[in-house]
Amino acid sequence: MYKLADIFYKAAEIQPDKTAIWCDNNSITYRELVDLVSQYSNFLLSNNIVYRDHIGIPMTNSIHSVALILAAANLGVGLVPINPTLPIDAIKAAFYSANIKHLIARQAFFENCDKNGGLEILGEKICIDGKLEGTQSLLEADKMSKERPIVEHVTGDEILIITMTSGSTGAPKPISLSQKNKYERAMAHIDLYKITQDDNVLAATPLYHSLAERLVLIPLLLGGTSVLLPRFTPNIWINCVKEQSVTFTIAVSAQLNQIAAVNDNSLNGTSLRCLVSSSSLLESHVKNQLIEKLHCDFHEMYGTSEVSTVTSINLSESIHKKQSVGKPIPGADVVIFKDNGEVATAGEIGEIGCKTRLLCEGYYKMDEVFEKSIQNNYFKTGDVGYLDEDGYLYFSGRKKEIIITGGINVYPQDIEKCVFELPEVRECAAFSYPDEKLGEIVALAIVINEGSEINQRKVQRHCAKNLADFQQPHKIIFLNELPKNSMGKLVRAQLIHTI
Amino acid sequence: MDILEFIVKYLEKKHTIDHSVDLETLNYVESGYVDSLGIIQFVCELEDEFDIEFSEQELSSQSFQVVGQLKKLIETKIAEKKKV
Repeated sequence: MYKLADIFYKAAEIQPDKTAIWCDNNSITYRELVDLVSQYSNFLLSNNIVYRDHIGIPMTNSIHSVALILAAANLGVGLVPINPTLPIDAIKAAFYSANIKHLIARQAFFENCDKNGGLEILGEKICIDGKLEGTQSLLEADKMSKERPIVEHVTGDEILIITMTSGSTGAPKPISLSQKNKYERAMAHIDLYKITQDDNVLAATPLYHSLAERLVLIPLLLGGTSVLLPRFTPNIWINCVKEQSVTFTIAVSAQLNQIAAVNDNSLNGTSLRCLVSSSSLLESHVKNQLIEKLHCDFHEMYGTSEVSTVTSINLSESIHKKQSVGKPIPGADVVIFKDNGEVATAGEIGEIGCKTRLLCEGYYKMDEVFEKSIQNNYFKTGDVGYLDEDGYLYFSGRKKEIIITGGINVYPQDIEKCVFELPEVRECAAFSYPDEKLGEIVALAIVINEGSEINQRKVQRHCAKNLADFQQPHKIIFLNELPKNSMGKLVRAQLIHTI
Repeated sequence: MDILEFIVKYLEKKHTIDHSVDLETLNYVESGYVDSLGIIQFVCELEDEFDIEFSEQELSSQSFQVVGQLKKLIETKIAEKKKV
């Protein structure tokens, strides 16, 4: 049974008065959440939203966002969550590629879109937090029936979430995740980290990424409590863990770098029993600081949005297998592909391939692109690494030139395309620069046209207007020429030495 | 647009600010409304909207992160510009 709404409604029956979600000083019991999900479902149906429709949703971390995910699951509808601060062109590209028909957003989003030329939405426009001309107000949902509507043909195979591989200005890859994917991913993590209904599970990353969606669904399918952080700062995270008696969470390494740096030992002896770090390996001194602060089980994991978690390693293993991202989790297998396509032997470096039952359904309407990523039933991640003789995986880098800042992928080409629009720019190259807080930040090298003048501020202004927040270059340098090899190809790795 | 309204609208792009929050003393960085990734965009939007430019010193001061004090700084800069 993969029907997420069925599982949630069943879990809610067991302890209806238990807190289902806490978010931003508000909480909701299972009984209240069931009512809200039913009312949202009835509201969506009454607004002509039907089975397998796709709804765009600039998603914030809030109780109503979670209720909308469950309502979508209940109706067999797909949601396309996006970062609300994306520039309008990136929003258009994302919605176009995911074939969205309707839009559910806050008033601030609608106003901002109108200011920037508007979005063409063929179906319904629903305003979450107000009454705005030309939209239906979700506030009216409280007048709807609390009886759960049942859509007979929902099987759980429907797409529930389409998540974008990046907020890129180029063509994003829309990853299709069915209810079944979401269910199996939740169950795999429940088994791996022994999560139960007694856990208070913290989600502290944005809900428009699959990690937070999973962390919210896990407790709601089990009858546990979901603690949803509205916004992240290390101090808000620490206070939330203490005050909400959080017992389990997965955080991205960029967050943990910041948490470890906070001079606060009050987390000693808190409720946290297990902490998992994702996205990239932590430096060992950061790991030690965290263990000293938190005194809990500690794991690191490796995965991508397409394959979910593939390997996991706990602290005692990592002492003997330094720099390893662990062994494949049950149901997953890893191989390394050499450049000639053959499978590598232990110690040989190549592209990391994963076979897992947690694999996504594909890239929405991009079957060919997805098929190209599959070799012998293994998904080729674009990451480079090797396996040792004991089957532990080591991550060496990325095949594609991606910058990962605060856990989010940034494609250098997106930054370069934008900066190149400035007439003063002859050449430019974006590259990764190490940063203690965010892991990496975007740096940018620019060569200007002879006789032209441009300063850093003008470049920043242009980027601020045309790129998303996570794509902003934090370091800008002007060079006479970019480092190139004898074939005239940019040697991006050398750019770091220019700063 | 009113300075305070512009600041609040920007901060609310990601999250609605609860009515109970005292805007005057709200530190929007410590409260997570703007993170270190988004701060450059915020500064550029303010500079564009009000046709002003902040100095490095202003940007790095703690008071720049507090809504009430940021509003006052913008008012002062606009007044200075008019004098010129």
